[in-house]
Amino acid sequence: MDFSVVARNLPYLVAAFALTLTTAALVIAGGTVTGVLLGLARGAGASAVRGAAMLYIGFIRGTPLLVVLFVVYFALPPLIGHRFTAYEAAVIGFIAFIAAYIAEDVRSGILSVPRGQIEAGLASGLSRGQALRLVVLPQAIRRMIPALFNQFVRLLKFTSVASVIGVTELTGATLAVNAREFQPLPLLAFLALAYFAACYALSLVGRWLNRRYAIMS
Amino acid sequence: MSYSFDWGVLWRYREALLGGFALTLALSIVSLMGALGVGMLAGAAAESERRWARVIAAAYVEIARNVPLLVHLYVWYLGLTTLKLPAFWCGVLGLSLYSGAYVAEIVRSGLQAVPAGQRAAGLASGLSPRQVLRHIVYPQALRIVAPSLAGLFSQLIKDSSLASVISVAELTFVAGAIEGDTFRTFEAYIGITVLYLVAVTAISQLTLRTLRSRIVEPAMRY
Repeated sequence: MDFSVVARNLPYLVAAFALTLTTAALVIAGGTVTGVLLGLARGAGASAVRGAAMLYIGFIRGTPLLVVLFVVYFALPPLIGHRFTAYEAAVIGFIAFIAAYIAEDVRSGILSVPRGQIEAGLASGLSRGQALRLVVLPQAIRRMIPALFNQFVRLLKFTSVASVIGVTELTGATLAVNAREFQPLPLLAFLALAYFAACYALSLVGRWLNRRYAIMS
Repeated sequence: MSYSFDWGVLWRYREALLGGFALTLALSIVSLMGALGVGMLAGAAAESERRWARVIAAAYVEIARNVPLLVHLYVWYLGLTTLKLPAFWCGVLGLSLYSGAYVAEIVRSGLQAVPAGQRAAGLASGLSPRQVLRHIVYPQALRIVAPSLAGLFSQLIKDSSLASVISVAELTFVAGAIEGDTFRTFEAYIGITVLYLVAVTAISQLTLRTLRSRIVEPAMRY
């Protein structure tokens, strides 16, 4: 295999890889915040809020990511009278998609904290909000680390799907180079290696955080 | 907002939609078989006593899991063009090898979750190691992992939508074609979303039930 095609196009590919990484960071942050809010709404006292959250989570979890991106990019604009750029549509779609999965992880994380913890918090004079924020959430988050990092790695891989609606992140850029040079094998090998390195590094961070902060029960 | 809906478009294109739906199901089911085959081999190898088997299994799982599915599909479709595989089989290979890594992890966790005492008790009561696996370890492991396998299958159905990118005419591809014909974008994509929801819900329920009634329960009888 002749890797000179990768070397020749390296600046372009590296810039695209940087776009993949920054996009992943953006949607990881956005998806986590949205997912935590959605997960809290899923266990809310008000049944209308809970119902709406359940409906949204169920709907998204039964829909392929590609279809979510198509809906945001192609189907919504005529309805709302506003067109997103491909990049905006991808970011909105990724966040809307992963939030539904993170919400469920947040919920099971919160449920995994023993009830006695919140009771002890209340008994020692904390308000319900304080008990949730100071006692339950810190423990829940530490228990959620492996599940959350699974979602983050998934999301990093998912950013490749943005190429389908025309974003030239790493996958899109590699395909563009291939269209000009037609050397698929070295280009795809480089593509796989780049994703592997990024995803593996991210999962190692997850393992390290988990070793450091996990609650042994 | 001045968009007038025309849901009738879904009815007019019912045959195309049903054809796409059937191909989505076929692609998912064949890929599930492939993923189960690869995954059970790799999962068993990961728990093997031979070091080289464990190394190969671990390498496969890490590589397959950390590369996006889209790249898996392109490797078969664009990279290995010398094989001249039809798009459908490129989809099957990509989906099977990608999902197989997840099956391997599920199988491994299932095998680890069966208490060691079960194996020891089986051997002590005179069963051969193979019989112990077949009658004692596997049935219990399968019961433990049944929900995860059902989840994996619904994930696979959703993942199969990416095969549209390599020109497999499954459900998502059909929606794109309808959109191209009629410009009824919203109706087409909401229509297939509902079909995916139906497929994912029905199939995960069905998988769970079949696993329970056909495999787990008979194996637990004497």
